[in-house]
Amino acid sequence: MILAKNLTLSYDKRKNIIENANFLIKEREFIFISGSSGSGKSTLLKSFYGDLSINNGNLFVNKHDLTKKDDSKLLSLRKDLGIVFQDYKLIQDYTIEENIMLPLKVHNYADDVSRAQVKKLLKHVKLSHKIGAYPAELSGGEQQRVAVARALAHNPSVILADEPTGNLDDYSSDMIWTLLKNANEHLGITIVVVTHRIPTDLGIKYRRFNIEEGVVYEAS
Amino acid sequence: MKLLKSFFSFSLPLVVMLFMFSIYLIVTKVVNNYKENIINDYAIVIITNTPFSSIDSLAGIKVKDIEPLSREKIIKNVQQNLSDTSISLLQKKLPYFYKIYLAEFPTTLKLEKIRKELMTISNIKKIETFSNDHNKLYSLLILVQNIIFILFGAVLLLSILLLSKQIKIWFFEHNERISIIQLHGGSLLYSSKPIIKVILGSAFFSSILASSMLVVVISNIHMIIEPEIMSLIPTVLSMEMEIMKIFVLSVIIPSITFFGLLVKYKLK
Repeated sequence: MILAKNLTLSYDKRKNIIENANFLIKEREFIFISGSSGSGKSTLLKSFYGDLSINNGNLFVNKHDLTKKDDSKLLSLRKDLGIVFQDYKLIQDYTIEENIMLPLKVHNYADDVSRAQVKKLLKHVKLSHKIGAYPAELSGGEQQRVAVARALAHNPSVILADEPTGNLDDYSSDMIWTLLKNANEHLGITIVVVTHRIPTDLGIKYRRFNIEEGVVYEAS
Repeated sequence: MKLLKSFFSFSLPLVVMLFMFSIYLIVTKVVNNYKENIINDYAIVIITNTPFSSIDSLAGIKVKDIEPLSREKIIKNVQQNLSDTSISLLQKKLPYFYKIYLAEFPTTLKLEKIRKELMTISNIKKIETFSNDHNKLYSLLILVQNIIFILFGAVLLLSILLLSKQIKIWFFEHNERISIIQLHGGSLLYSSKPIIKVILGSAFFSSILASSMLVVVISNIHMIIEPEIMSLIPTVLSMEMEIMKIFVLSVIIPSITFFGLLVKYKLK
């Protein structure tokens, strides 16, 4: 659940990027946030995972109040989230297995449980044969599938994805959409995706928020 | 390769610092042994008109013992050439002699203080501190000890600076990895696990190297130290405590530097 009340965001307090946003994202929803370049889509998403302080208003993510910045609360919030980035953000000197294992290690999962979970996820994203490879040895599409697997590893209640298909070809993009759709449909994970390219044939019920000149509104 | 480079970058300042610390420990050990040896032979002699009452300390140094010198023995030593009348007069007029033993050997400055303190006691007629007997060598040893301590302080400061630079470089190099781990809920301390392992590994390696040097030096100390001082040092110097101190220092210094920087990094 994500709840914003009169949410205002800015980087330098001179110009607000998001102004007085009010919305509620319920559990198990699939949400797209769209808008033109520089409209503040990624800024809004950053505030969801606590990477940006709130200027005004209130923001609740999974019952975590992000109105006031608190490092310990921030870490516990992030343990509840899965995040997928446009540039994958995989650790280059970790193998694929170690990258996917990262949130599990942070959650203090036992090693054998973590390894079993990684194997299951790699099978799910069709990359079992790449378990010992390093990110540099994978294509962009494969790296993004690893990033999705990592986001799913610790069974988060929300996945936030910032332009997850921005760097990918159509084939890889389709695979990523399918993975996110399955996570929502079968695992009940709330998905929030920032994108300027909403797939036409997703085959799932979703809501779309649009951002224009700092105003967030629900588009039909 | 990168890990090995990091390991040696951390080890080098630590090894230099611990070597300096080992030298300081050796010199301190030699000075302390010398002090212990000479203090058994050393006493201040005072001459008083009346029997002397006891004193606990002089110039902050504990008085170990006050031993009266037998008056009969003194008279016996000189009576051969004296008449009976002179002897009986001597018996009446002879002052009291005392040897004051101290718990530790005093420095020149403290010796002067002791003399002044004793002079304030009214019935003391004369004080003999025998300051020239041991003082030159002792002062020289203290000077060497102090110089080495100052050098150690400078090397320690330099090592801390180098260690903190290395840690900063590591944070800079691994900035992306740290931010990715933090995005997944890992704390700064958690994301610093690799550097903590390198620091502890270097500390262990450096302390072994410095301890080995200490053992080698102590085992061959007769080749380094002048025979004059050597005669005052026990043949076997125990080193367990010194090795423990080296190990503790090798862990404490990089740990304090690391956690200090971590706090600074967190506050930023």
